[in-house]
Amino acid sequence: MSVGDFIRNSQVWKSIFRHPAPKDRRNRVVVMLTNFFLHLHPVSIRKQGIALSYTWCMGGITFFLFLVETVTGVLLMFYYRPTLEHAYNDIVTLGQVTTLGVLRELHRWGAHAMVITIWLHMYRVFLTGSYKPPREFNWVVGVILLVLTLLLSFTGYLLPWDQLAIWAITVGSNMARATPLLGHEGPGAKLLVIGGVELIHSGSDARFALLGQRFVGEMTLLRFYVLHCIALPLAVALLIAIHFWRVRKDGGISGPL
Amino acid sequence: MPPLGSKPAPAKPAAKPGSDRRGFFYTIFATWFGAAWAAFTVSMAAMTLGTVRFLFPNVVAEPPSTFKAGTPEQYEPGVVVERYKQEYGVWIVRIDNQIFALSTVCTHLGCTPNWLENEQKFKCPCHGSGFYKDGVNFEGPAPRPLERYKISIGDDGQIVVDKSRKFQKELGQWNDPDASITL
Amino acid sequence: MVGGQDLTPAVQNGLAGYYGLAALANLAYGALAYYKFKDKLQGFVWPVVGGVFAVLALLNLAHVPWVKLPIWYKDLSDHGIVRSLMHFGVVGTAADGVFYVGLGLLILMCFVLAGDIIYSYFLRASSANGNGGGNANNRGNGNGGWLREPLSRITAELVVIALLGLILFGTNAISYFVASIVGFMAFLVWRKTLTKPMVIWGIFNAALLFGGLSMTDYDFRTIIIKPDNVPIVGLVFVVGFFTWLAFRKAVINDERRKQGLPPAEKEEEDKVLVWPDLVYTELICMVVVTIVLIVWAVALPAPLEQPASSTRTPNPSKAPWYFLGLQEMLVYYDPWLAGVVLPTLIILGLMAMPYIDFNQKGNGYFTFEERPFAIVVWLFGFIVLWVTLIFLGTFLRGPNWNFFGLYEPWDPHKLVPLNNVNLSDYFWVRGLGIIWATNDPQSLSGFLTILMRELPGILLVLGYFMILPPVLAKTIFRSFYLRMGFIRYMTMIIILLFMASLPIKMVLRWTINLKYIVAIPEFFFNI
Repeated sequence: MSVGDFIRNSQVWKSIFRHPAPKDRRNRVVVMLTNFFLHLHPVSIRKQGIALSYTWCMGGITFFLFLVETVTGVLLMFYYRPTLEHAYNDIVTLGQVTTLGVLRELHRWGAHAMVITIWLHMYRVFLTGSYKPPREFNWVVGVILLVLTLLLSFTGYLLPWDQLAIWAITVGSNMARATPLLGHEGPGAKLLVIGGVELIHSGSDARFALLGQRFVGEMTLLRFYVLHCIALPLAVALLIAIHFWRVRKDGGISGPL
Repeated sequence: MPPLGSKPAPAKPAAKPGSDRRGFFYTIFATWFGAAWAAFTVSMAAMTLGTVRFLFPNVVAEPPSTFKAGTPEQYEPGVVVERYKQEYGVWIVRIDNQIFALSTVCTHLGCTPNWLENEQKFKCPCHGSGFYKDGVNFEGPAPRPLERYKISIGDDGQIVVDKSRKFQKELGQWNDPDASITL
Repeated sequence: MVGGQDLTPAVQNGLAGYYGLAALANLAYGALAYYKFKDKLQGFVWPVVGGVFAVLALLNLAHVPWVKLPIWYKDLSDHGIVRSLMHFGVVGTAADGVFYVGLGLLILMCFVLAGDIIYSYFLRASSANGNGGGNANNRGNGNGGWLREPLSRITAELVVIALLGLILFGTNAISYFVASIVGFMAFLVWRKTLTKPMVIWGIFNAALLFGGLSMTDYDFRTIIIKPDNVPIVGLVFVVGFFTWLAFRKAVINDERRKQGLPPAEKEEEDKVLVWPDLVYTELICMVVVTIVLIVWAVALPAPLEQPASSTRTPNPSKAPWYFLGLQEMLVYYDPWLAGVVLPTLIILGLMAMPYIDFNQKGNGYFTFEERPFAIVVWLFGFIVLWVTLIFLGTFLRGPNWNFFGLYEPWDPHKLVPLNNVNLSDYFWVRGLGIIWATNDPQSLSGFLTILMRELPGILLVLGYFMILPPVLAKTIFRSFYLRMGFIRYMTMIIILLFMASLPIKMVLRWTINLKYIVAIPEFFFNI
C-alpha cells in the first residue's frame, strides 16, 4: 500500500473529498456537484461557451484580479496607517522594511488591470448581445459592479497621500460640490433656505459627506480608507455572488438561441 | 326576442371570505396592517436619515479662519503677494489704492492656480482657467471670478484677513466695504 | 527643446529588443499563414517585413544615431505643414503657398462632401424608389466599385478631409477629435476589408513601427513610460485587438447569415464537461494573468511623488486615468453637468439599455448587420467618447491643460489664447446692443433680468430636449417610436441627446468660441 493510497483511504481525506479523483466521466460530474468552489459552474457546458475567442475570459479575469487585490490589500494593511503623520512614510518605507515590497506594485497594477478587464468584459457582453432577455437584470448588476470597481480604485488612489493622490482626489471630489441641490456650488442649492438659514453650505453638502471635512485632509484619508478596505469590498463581494448566481439561473453563459 | 332588460342578471361572484372590497387606500391607511407597515417605513426612513446625519460631525478640527498679514504699507501697488498662499490659501493683492485678499481656490474645480508674473495672470493647472490680477476670470472653463475674503485693519494697525466670510463678484458683493481696504 | 537626449544607449538597447520581438512575431505569423492557412502571399510578405524589423533591431544594437523620427515629421505631427516645410528650406511665402493650396483643397473637399451627401441621400434617393439611407452593404459590394457606393465614397471623402486637417494644422484638439470620429466611421464602413487578417496585421505592424520610432523622441518617451500611463498604452492595444476580434467574427457571421447559415457559434452546440475542459482553461488563464502581473510589478515601480501639499497644485493636475474622459468633458461643461449629471446619466443609461433595446436579434453571438444602430451608438460612446478621450487626456493634455502634440515638449509657458464668449453676449450685446445687468440677483427684478439675459440659451436648451424628441419620432426614428412605445423611446432619445451634447458643445467651442449656452453663475447654473 503506497503512501498516496494510505492518505486517500484515511478518514480525514475521505471526510473532505467524498468521491474519488475526477478521472472518469461519472466522477467528473460528481466533483462539480460536491465541491463548494466548483459548484459555481454547471456540470457541462456548450463548447462555444468555453471558446476563448467568444468569451475573452474577461469576466473571469476580473474576478481573479478582485481576489488578487483582496489578498495583496490585506497584506498591505499590516504596514499602513491612515493618518497624515504616517500614511506617506509607511508607503515610502514599505519597500525597505519588507522583503517583497513589490506587493504594492501588484496591488496597484492589479487595480489598473481590473478596470481595463471589467470594461472589456462589458464590451464583449454588449457586442454578443448577451444583455438581452433573459439577462437584463444581470447586466444591471454588472453595471453596479463596474461603478463599484471604479470607486474602489478611486478611493485607493488617495491612500499613498502623495501629490498625485491628493490632487487627483481633489479634482475628482470637487465635482461633488456642484451636485444639483446637494452640493453647495450646485444649481438650486441656494434655494434650499429655511428661515434665512442655508441648508446646504460647504459644511453640509455632498462633498462634505464624502470628505469628512471641507478639503481633502485627515478625515478624508480615514473615510476613503474605510470605504476602500471594508465597505466597498463587501458590497462588491455580495454583488459578485448575485452576478454569478444569476449567470447560472438565467441560462448559463450566453450563446445563440 | 326579449328586451335586454329582462335578461336575468348573472349571479354576482360570491365574495371570497376576507376579501376587502374597500380598496387599496383603505388597506394602506386604515387597517392595523397598514399602520404596522407605515410605522416600519417611517422608522426605516428615520434610521436612514440618522445615518446620513452621522456622516456630518458636529465639530470639525479646522485651522483658525483669521490671520494677520502685516501693515498695509508693506504692500506695493500692482504686486501679488504670495507669502500667505502656502499656509492660509490667500493671495493679497494691491491694485492702486485697494488691497484685497483673493482665495487661492479655482472656481472651476478647486485646484490652486499659479500666479504667472510674466503674463500677469493666475492660471489654473487643472483645466487652464485664467484670472486677471483682480480675480476676474477671462479664459478657460472657470464660470466666475475668484472669491475674496473679508479684509480689515485691526486695532494694532495690521491687516486682518477673515476667511470665514467670502465675497463673490457675480453677486455684487465686491463693493462691500469689508471686501477690500482702501488706503 | 526643453527635454534631454533623444537617443541613449539604454533606449537603443531596449528598442533593439522591441524590434527583435516584432521581427519574430512577423516570422511566426508568416510561417503560420504559409503552412496552416496555405496563404503564399502572406507567407512571403510577413517574413520580409520581419526582416525589416530585424535590420532596425541590428541598427539599434549597433547604436546607429540616425534611426529616429526626422524632425520634419515631428513638426508636421505637432504643428502642421508650415513648420515642417522649414526643414526642407521652404519658408515664407512659399510655405504659406503650400498651406493655402492645402486649405483650398480642404475647403473644396468639404463642398464635394456636402454635394455628395445631398446628391446621394436626397436627390438620388427620391428618384430611386426611396431606398436611401443606411444599409450600405447590400449594394455595390465587393466588385471593385467601392467608390460607387455612396456611404463608402463619403467616408473616403471624410478621410481625405481628416488627413488634410492633420497635415495642415498638426495634431490639436479639433483635428484629433475629427480624425478619431472619421477613423471610427471608416472602420465601420470598411469593416469587411479592414478586419481581414492580412490588412489588420499590416495595421498592427504599422502601429509597432510608429510606436518604436516615436520612442526615439525624448518628450514622447517621457510621457509614455510614466508608470501610471502604461495601462493606457496597454488599453489602446487591447481595445484595438478585441474590437478587431469582435468585428472579424461579426463579419463572418453576417456573411453566413446571407448564405442562410446559422452563426458560427451555433456550430458548437454540443456539450462538454466542465471538468476538465473549463476548469483547466480557467487555471491556465489565472496562471497567465499572475505571470503578467508579476512581471509588470517587478519591471515598473508604482509611482510615488512628493508628499501631499494642499497649496502646491502640480501642473498639470490629472484625475486617475480612467476618469480622464470625464476631465476632458470638464473643459466644455460645468462641473455640475460634466462631473455629476452626465456621469449619472452614463450609469443610468447603461442600466436602462437592456430594457430599451427591443431588437431581439443578435443574442449570444457576434453580429453587426442584425443590430447596427445599437452597435454604432455603443461603439461611439465607448471608443470615441471614452477611450480616445482618455488617450487625449493622458498624452496630449499638458501644463495648464493646454493641448500638446505627441512630440511637443510640455512647456508650462505655452500661450494659448482662450477668450470664450457666452451665447447671451453674442445675442444681446453683440447682436442687438442691449445689456442686461443687475446688482442684486437675489431680488425678483434681478432674477427676471438674468432670466431675460439668458432667454435665448434657455429656449435653445428647452427646444433641444422638448422639441427634438417628437420631431425625431416623426422622422428619423419613426419606426423605432412605433416599435418601442412612448416610455422606451423617450428614455432612449433623452440619453442619446445628452450623449450628442458633448460633441455639439465641442464644435461650438471650436468654431465660435462659445463658452456657455446658458450662463447663470449667480446660481451656479451654466450649460
